[in-house]
Amino acid sequence: MSKPSSSAASFCRRTRREFLWESGCGFGGAALAAMLAADGLAPAARAADSSRALAPRAGAYNGKAKSVIFLFMYGGPSHVDTFDYKPALVGKDGVMVDVKTHGRGGHRNQGRIVEPRWKFAQHGECGKWVSSLFPHLSTCVDDIAFLHSMTAESPIHGSAMLMMNSGKLQSGYPAMGSWVNYGLGSPNENLPGFVVMLDRTGGPISGAKNWSSGYMPATYAGTVFRPEGSPINDLSLPENVDRPLRREVLDSLEQLNRRHFDARPDQSDLAARIASYELAFRMQQHAPEAVDISGEAATTLSAYGVDRAETRDFGMRCLLARRLVERGVRFIQVYSGGAHNDDNWDAHGDLEANHSKHALETDQPIAALLKDLKQRGLLEETLVVWGGEFGRQPTAEYEVGTGRDHNSYGFTMWAAGGGVKGGVSVGATDELGSAAVESPMHVKRLHATILRQLGLDPNGLSYFYRGLDQKLVGVEHVEPIHEIV
Amino acid sequence: MKLASAAARFILCLLAITLAGWSAPRVSGAEVQVDFVREIKPLLARRCFACHGPETGEGGLRFDSREAALAELDSGSYAIVPGDVDASELLARVTADEDSGMQMPPEGDPLTTAEIDTLRRWIEQGADWRKHWAFLPMQDVAPPTSQQNQWGENPIDAFVLARLEAADLQPNPPADRRTLIRRAYFNLTGLPPTRQQVEAFVRNESPDAWEQLVEQLLASPHYGEQWARHWLDVVRFAETNSFERDAAKPNAWKYRDYVIRSLNNDKPYDQFVREQLAGDELDEVTEDSIIATGYYRLGIWDDEPADPEQALADEKDDLISTTGQAFLGLTLGCARCHDHKIDPIPQTDYYAMMAFFADVTSYGDRGDQTGNNQWLFDTDEDRRARQALDERAQRIERERTSMEEVGVKRMSATDQRRSETGERQALLEEKLQRYLNSSEWQLYQETLARLERVRRERNALPAVQTALALARCEPTPPATHVMVRGNPHVLGDVVEPHFPHLFEVPEPSIPAAASDARSAGRRRVLADWIASPDNMLTARVIVNRVWQHHFGRGIVRSANNFGELGDPPTHPELLDWLAQWLIDHNWQLKPLHRLIMTSQTYRMSSAGNSRALEADPTNDLLWRFDMRRLSAEEVRDAALAAAGVLNDRVYGPSFYPTLSEEVLATQSHPGDGWGDSSPEEEARRSVYIHRKRSLLEPLLTAFDFPDIDSSCEARFATTQPQQALAMLNSAFMNQQAERLALRVQTASDDPVAESIRVVLGREPTYEEVAAGTQLIDRLQTHYDRTADEALRQWCLVVLNLNEFMYLD
Repeated sequence: MSKPSSSAASFCRRTRREFLWESGCGFGGAALAAMLAADGLAPAARAADSSRALAPRAGAYNGKAKSVIFLFMYGGPSHVDTFDYKPALVGKDGVMVDVKTHGRGGHRNQGRIVEPRWKFAQHGECGKWVSSLFPHLSTCVDDIAFLHSMTAESPIHGSAMLMMNSGKLQSGYPAMGSWVNYGLGSPNENLPGFVVMLDRTGGPISGAKNWSSGYMPATYAGTVFRPEGSPINDLSLPENVDRPLRREVLDSLEQLNRRHFDARPDQSDLAARIASYELAFRMQQHAPEAVDISGEAATTLSAYGVDRAETRDFGMRCLLARRLVERGVRFIQVYSGGAHNDDNWDAHGDLEANHSKHALETDQPIAALLKDLKQRGLLEETLVVWGGEFGRQPTAEYEVGTGRDHNSYGFTMWAAGGGVKGGVSVGATDELGSAAVESPMHVKRLHATILRQLGLDPNGLSYFYRGLDQKLVGVEHVEPIHEIV
Repeated sequence: MKLASAAARFILCLLAITLAGWSAPRVSGAEVQVDFVREIKPLLARRCFACHGPETGEGGLRFDSREAALAELDSGSYAIVPGDVDASELLARVTADEDSGMQMPPEGDPLTTAEIDTLRRWIEQGADWRKHWAFLPMQDVAPPTSQQNQWGENPIDAFVLARLEAADLQPNPPADRRTLIRRAYFNLTGLPPTRQQVEAFVRNESPDAWEQLVEQLLASPHYGEQWARHWLDVVRFAETNSFERDAAKPNAWKYRDYVIRSLNNDKPYDQFVREQLAGDELDEVTEDSIIATGYYRLGIWDDEPADPEQALADEKDDLISTTGQAFLGLTLGCARCHDHKIDPIPQTDYYAMMAFFADVTSYGDRGDQTGNNQWLFDTDEDRRARQALDERAQRIERERTSMEEVGVKRMSATDQRRSETGERQALLEEKLQRYLNSSEWQLYQETLARLERVRRERNALPAVQTALALARCEPTPPATHVMVRGNPHVLGDVVEPHFPHLFEVPEPSIPAAASDARSAGRRRVLADWIASPDNMLTARVIVNRVWQHHFGRGIVRSANNFGELGDPPTHPELLDWLAQWLIDHNWQLKPLHRLIMTSQTYRMSSAGNSRALEADPTNDLLWRFDMRRLSAEEVRDAALAAAGVLNDRVYGPSFYPTLSEEVLATQSHPGDGWGDSSPEEEARRSVYIHRKRSLLEPLLTAFDFPDIDSSCEARFATTQPQQALAMLNSAFMNQQAERLALRVQTASDDPVAESIRVVLGREPTYEEVAAGTQLIDRLQTHYDRTADEALRQWCLVVLNLNEFMYLD
């Protein structure tokens, strides 16, 4: 499998699958190959060969982006209160209108308008209208491409989350981060290639299903990274064990394992396994270093809002996202919002309180992230994506109050960096913001765009499973969103 | 008349062409015979079908059958003229110049030189259009006889040896007894042999020592646990429904136990198939056969679908895909939206399969999450008795309340208000007697006593047994329609149940359901056909799975896909012979295990030799036994066994291993749906771990426990650092190391040597003892650790040895 996207090699699946069955891959695969060579485990040459096939590799094209940071606004932020300016709603609070909606409350044909609770103003050279929820982010609009006509297939959290993350409404399929690592390999053997950072309030609905590798090996699954304590499960040494002591244990283990291997010199798996212990030992050093921000300047910490209570958590995760990008991690997903109800953007009750809270927590950190990446010259090769699993309706969910129900008929996402044009807006919803009417873009088009910016062919990158060449974007041809690149 | 005979001549002519294609033409010179199925069909499908497929046929050209591909084109020329490359327009077009406007395919990269060369040779060789091996009936084969060698009397050896001899290779000598007993124990029970068991086997001088061992293991209840795991992977067994709530499915464990018990009882496989697909419709319906229909309740289920019709279609698709792969080795799911691109499975076959399942209700609905899936095992009599007592109790309760109200009405307003709150009971106990006269009070006391008697009687009735099963069916289901491009909102023609056309069997006759039937009777027909000895795939698919789990891979590696994109069998005759053998032996798996394990092929050593490695590096010809890593469950179970704490109780509800806070924190409600189990329960075998789809045990996941949302035909065997982290740092492994240390300390004055004996089942080498002693010394002298702590670290080393993790 020189290139997963090369159709000739991939169609007859055998090459790929056989490899996947028989050797370590993904996270650490490349490193194993290198270590086997370096450690003189010479008879393991065959394993080294197959492992090398999953070393960092070129995609089908020259990709502008090397990494992706997906800022997942879990719960579904309201587009008409954030980036999708709808003058037609202004002054119409409480007015009943005919509008088709579909949310958790089912299908409706009428609703009471909830006027956006925040004032919009124009920003940047592009004159983008942004609501007052985002005073910091509004200074970055010239670097951002807004996608106003996103559509998803489900207005229900669980299935919509899976669709945004894996392109399918059902669980069991690999997440986008798994696809990216499958397609491009991982340049840093000491860190996972697909990292997920959760909100302090908890995981999203369906938990680990959102970063599962589905039918691919678990090595492609997202690794949950924590800012505090042990960043990765089972990474830290047990109590009463320190690195020198562990070194002694490893030396003893390796001595005996090598003797066992010497009697079976053609069994490359044994050599790979010996090497994997050394790799794990190195990860234990590098992963904590990646989350250690003691070397960051005070001005940087302050810019991300790490010094303030409201912005500390999300700011910290944004800062770590940058540090992981610097270390070659391919795909990083950062969740804003967790658990249920108002712990995330799911504003069914009090829209004002909910969105004020979550915007406050994320606005400054996200703006800082964009500026920091740009200043370090990393924005060009880092694709930052912002959005939730759907948007919200322009009308009210209940008889009283400002809460809005889910809306998958039309919503806004945005992208910046990674070769994406700044200061552009694509597509539009109707004048109420209830549904995409101008160039509707299915979630899959966003997926295709992300893969394409990384240099992968969204319609070519495939994995043979269940009799089919499976793709992130599905069997039908899907075009990337050309207008923003 | 004249026309008819012309037509007949035409058909005869076509037949002649087809038949010519069947008898594989001999190759002249050194040209290698092109394999149509492997080399040509996929190429045509991939690069030509978009315009020249069964649905498109542009320019009068279709590549879906030989007749169509050889037919005259709209242009008057012929795409393929067998044996005549120059007359074949296909070659001219794929080699045409890019600027000519004639080049095919018009989009994408041109064909490679190698692809063009393959096409050319294929046409030269007569454009053979052979039928795929798996879609031909099983061959009646006899084991070959070897001219040169005598290698075992087992027919399996004859098949294997014939291929080795043809490649001028020798089979490996047998493995030693210590290797063999470890191999056999893990293979049949998933557990390591104890040291005593190893020694007894090594010393057993009986000529049938091996046969005795195999018998003993096949009789072990742990056999069912180990082999059930393989089937549970295939049917994507889990105990929750995934999606937002990922809620527990009550009694799912009973299906798991059904599989274990079926294997332990050596239930014939055809019966096993019938019970799962139609256990509620058999001539003899048993509790077991009902639990077996839990098969229909194993998949994921969206309790809050955005598009209910789509969700229902997806649920059915999951069932069709799983059934096709599990029982028939067919990827029927690929024909959901259009005809199968490669295999001869038209879209209508997919919907015909859906029609067989038309009476299968959804797992549940949000309002009633159990009615469709929880079967109540009670007699009519029990049900009536329960209802009668419930009604009596309700009546008495009403009487009691009205008597109470007599008293309450006489109370103060404050107390009357209290009587409407949660304090009612306290109020009544405190004051009621005061407000009733003595005869009223007497009557009230009698009423309470009567109520108590009825309740006691009700509680004395036997508890209702329930099971996860196909509890509710639609006996007269609506017509099944083709869904146009797989869209449940765009219905096409009506489809009746029929078997996939590639089997070339008559249409089924389905008896009309009786007016009081609880199901449609269609699944029974499907089950009987799948479980029939005449079905050309069922027996092949199951013997291949059995082979796979003895040797690490199937004769057909793609165990779920016997179609044209699957892997061809390495030993096709052996596969057919075994399939027939299984049928002849009443479809029972234990005799098959016995046959396989008593072959020389199974008993070969896994050692390498340079000549064979050169000739057949992937061991496709089986010149050696393949070494393998322990599976996820085997790693965990073997660690518990080494620690001396494995609780080997068989069957029963699942348990919850302790998960770290970090792992639970990935949930939206941390800890939701996860229980606490006692230490004894936590030491049970891994097959009994509660399978929550969104919360898998991390140690098992690290060792390739599969995603359980869709059928898993074979597990990955990755090597990655997360495994090392889990094996060295997890609380679980450190706990087992500590227990092992305690165990060996108690048992022996030489704990280092004892640890090797316990974990590896053999005497330690001098070097191992030296390594252990040295480590323990160093940790005490240089790291200031106690002797106990140092021994624990050594025990952790032993549990991480490759010899522990791998089987020769």
